[in-house]
Amino acid sequence: MDIEQKAEISVGQIKSTDRKEAPNSGPVSRVKKLVSRRLLVGIKDGRFFLGTFYCMDKQGNIILQDAVEYRSTRHSSPSPMEQRGLGLILIPFSCRTSCHVDCSIEEQMSLLSLEKQK
Amino acid sequence: MAAGGTNDTERISGGESILPVNPTTSSADQSVWADVSPLLELACRDLHDGELIHGENFNLFAAMSALEIMDPKMDSGMVSTYYSVDEAIELGAAPVPLSFDRTIDIQYVIDIMDHLLACEATWHKGHSLAQTVFSCIYILRPDRTSSHALLHSYCLVVRGTCNAVVSAVSDARTNEEEDLFTMTYGLPLKGEGDEKCLSLLQAVDETLSRQLRACKAPLSKRKALEDIEPLQSNPDLEEGFCRAVLCRLRFRKHFYHVLTCMRKPQGRGLELARKHIAACLSELDSMLQLETFLRSQTAENETTASGRQPIGFDSTLNSRLSAPTPPRALKLLSWRKAVEYFQKLLRDLNIICSYTLDPALDMLLHFVVGFQKMHPDLIARAYLQLLLVQDGKLYGRDPIIAVIGKAALLPDVVKTNDLQNNEIIAQLGQLLINLLKVICTNAAWQRRKLGKILQDWQVVRMQLEMAFQTEFGDVSSTSSDESVGMKICNHILIWVEEQTYWIALRFLTLGFELELYSPCDYCMVYWYMYVVLIQLAEKTHSKTMRRNDNGRRKGKKKKEAIKDGAKDNQIPPGVIFLQSRIDLTEGIAMMLAALRNEYNLFQSPGPFNSEHERFLQHFELLQKAGIPVYADAYIAFKEAVSHARFSTLSIHQCFKNAQRIAKELRTMYSNDLDKLTELRGIEQVAEHNVVALNLISRLGTLDPSLKVYFEFSHHPYFATAVVKRS
Repeated sequence: MDIEQKAEISVGQIKSTDRKEAPNSGPVSRVKKLVSRRLLVGIKDGRFFLGTFYCMDKQGNIILQDAVEYRSTRHSSPSPMEQRGLGLILIPFSCRTSCHVDCSIEEQMSLLSLEKQK
Repeated sequence: MAAGGTNDTERISGGESILPVNPTTSSADQSVWADVSPLLELACRDLHDGELIHGENFNLFAAMSALEIMDPKMDSGMVSTYYSVDEAIELGAAPVPLSFDRTIDIQYVIDIMDHLLACEATWHKGHSLAQTVFSCIYILRPDRTSSHALLHSYCLVVRGTCNAVVSAVSDARTNEEEDLFTMTYGLPLKGEGDEKCLSLLQAVDETLSRQLRACKAPLSKRKALEDIEPLQSNPDLEEGFCRAVLCRLRFRKHFYHVLTCMRKPQGRGLELARKHIAACLSELDSMLQLETFLRSQTAENETTASGRQPIGFDSTLNSRLSAPTPPRALKLLSWRKAVEYFQKLLRDLNIICSYTLDPALDMLLHFVVGFQKMHPDLIARAYLQLLLVQDGKLYGRDPIIAVIGKAALLPDVVKTNDLQNNEIIAQLGQLLINLLKVICTNAAWQRRKLGKILQDWQVVRMQLEMAFQTEFGDVSSTSSDESVGMKICNHILIWVEEQTYWIALRFLTLGFELELYSPCDYCMVYWYMYVVLIQLAEKTHSKTMRRNDNGRRKGKKKKEAIKDGAKDNQIPPGVIFLQSRIDLTEGIAMMLAALRNEYNLFQSPGPFNSEHERFLQHFELLQKAGIPVYADAYIAFKEAVSHARFSTLSIHQCFKNAQRIAKELRTMYSNDLDKLTELRGIEQVAEHNVVALNLISRLGTLDPSLKVYFEFSHHPYFATAVVKRS
């Protein structure tokens, strides 16, 4: 699993470096490469969901596979976390507050460069 | 539910949120969490309508089953008021004591007691324990209340009672469709020192009794009693509060005793249980009487006698514990409804405790069927079943083989030991135990199970027949000098057949209770009942005749034999009883057939399924079990009903016969209230149907506006025809 993911990242790395105006380098294809990667999604009420990216639609609703819910046991932070497995979950766009992908530092740089472009 | 430490959190660059994941546990040491929200936003803009981003293993059907986060019907983890029980306690949601003003404190405690009663009744009615009784923070954290003796003892006994009920229901397994009931994952249902709850309760009861006596004593004597600290600070309210608390505590105590007594082996605790039931009911009455004293607000649907909202409850706190089911919408019963529920439960339990543990199987079956007519709830049915079958014996007392021997009217020379070694008989014993358990379940489940076990009974019957033939040759060539073994086989075979028809009849009648038949199906249902009843009467008759007169044989044409024999005094009253039902079902079936044949009423409702298909849908399970023995029951039914006309006298005759027999039998059963009501019902149905029949045959052809419909006003499953002009 670990090796596989690393390989994927490096492949993504190569492609993202020499992409520029290539047709498959648009945001859609870049997000497509995130499929099956680990996503950490935060929602309005303070919970986080960690799971494998399964699907996203135009409205920005995300489906995660093998998701684990993390919630704090207090309002005040930091506080102890409680976790439980949920399986396949749909996180509506309306309640999503953050979304992070587990990646290498190099890949993070390329993602940041995208923000600059914007 | 593992709680991670604060060390597991990590602050990421630029983001304010705290991520719950330790970087070292993720894919690589060098990895970070990169924000992809902007990228996702861009991608969404570029996506076409209805387009999805997904991998190769994507399955839209599977994706549809994803749990939707923040949907109140699916997401049980939604954070509502509090993040956890501990936080709720820290924020003062469940203080101990509830108030430093002792009068207010006692008022709040009474509210908690009342709300818990409403929660408990709602749980009994099928909601999850986590969302009802265990929505109480005091019950979730029993250690916290130890300084408050009154609240502590009450919470402990409630928890003990829940535990007793859960174990009874899961032992009986009558909850097949109500399995939410016994789910207790993650709930502190049992705790250390629970066995002390009664002694604690007793101590509190004694203190309260002394306080009550003290406040009622005349002023002159009060000085002597001054060392007794009152329950609360307002002397004018002291007596009322003492009484209100006492009746609540005592109800709990006696209810707990009822449940323990009823679990005693072989029904030994039933008599004592009845005393506790009576005490429970009188405490409930006191609770109702004191309602006006406690009432502060006029509210009808409140869960407390006072009408206030109780302190210390939050049903969302452990809704995550009700997994794997999603959280359910919950409407708690009001306090009054909860009291009514417990009154009904106690009355049902009282019926069980008053039962004489009759060793005769037919009496037992009659009792259970009668008991089910009261529509008892899950708890009462579970306790009934636990009483009937214990350690594979009837009432834990009578070996099941002996019960069968008695029911089959075996000659006394037969010893139980002779039967025990027979494999088929042992199997039959299992079937009977299973039957006893099934008839204690709810009507819908019961009917489905009865339909299925019919086939098992059929198989045993065939096995018996085969064993009979290989051992003794052809059944028909029996002579008067039959051996003991043969007698046993023959008796048991007849009893098995009789029992099979009894199950079939119960299956058919339950269909009326569950409203499974439409009026256009009534004709076939009554015809089927008629056929089953004839067979049942025949078997019951030959069983009794065998005992009374082993030498004499009844003729082959059993139906005629019974019909003629009804006048004969030798016919047992049970068979005559069946005869009145035979006549009644025949009459109703033929009346419906005549209405179909002559007026085109009660025909198939639509083009979607034919009458034959509906016939199969209704009776498939019976036909699989070979009931009735016709090659094609549907053809037999069509033949039977095709010639029915109002002009023939036979329909009248059926009703007249039923009426006459029912009237005659009433003198015979003058001390059996159940049977008398049943007979009265049969008589009335027959009487009304004769009137309707006369009306239809006189006016039917003349008046096209005449409307005929059927209702169950005189009997739960024998329909009465009503004729009206529209």
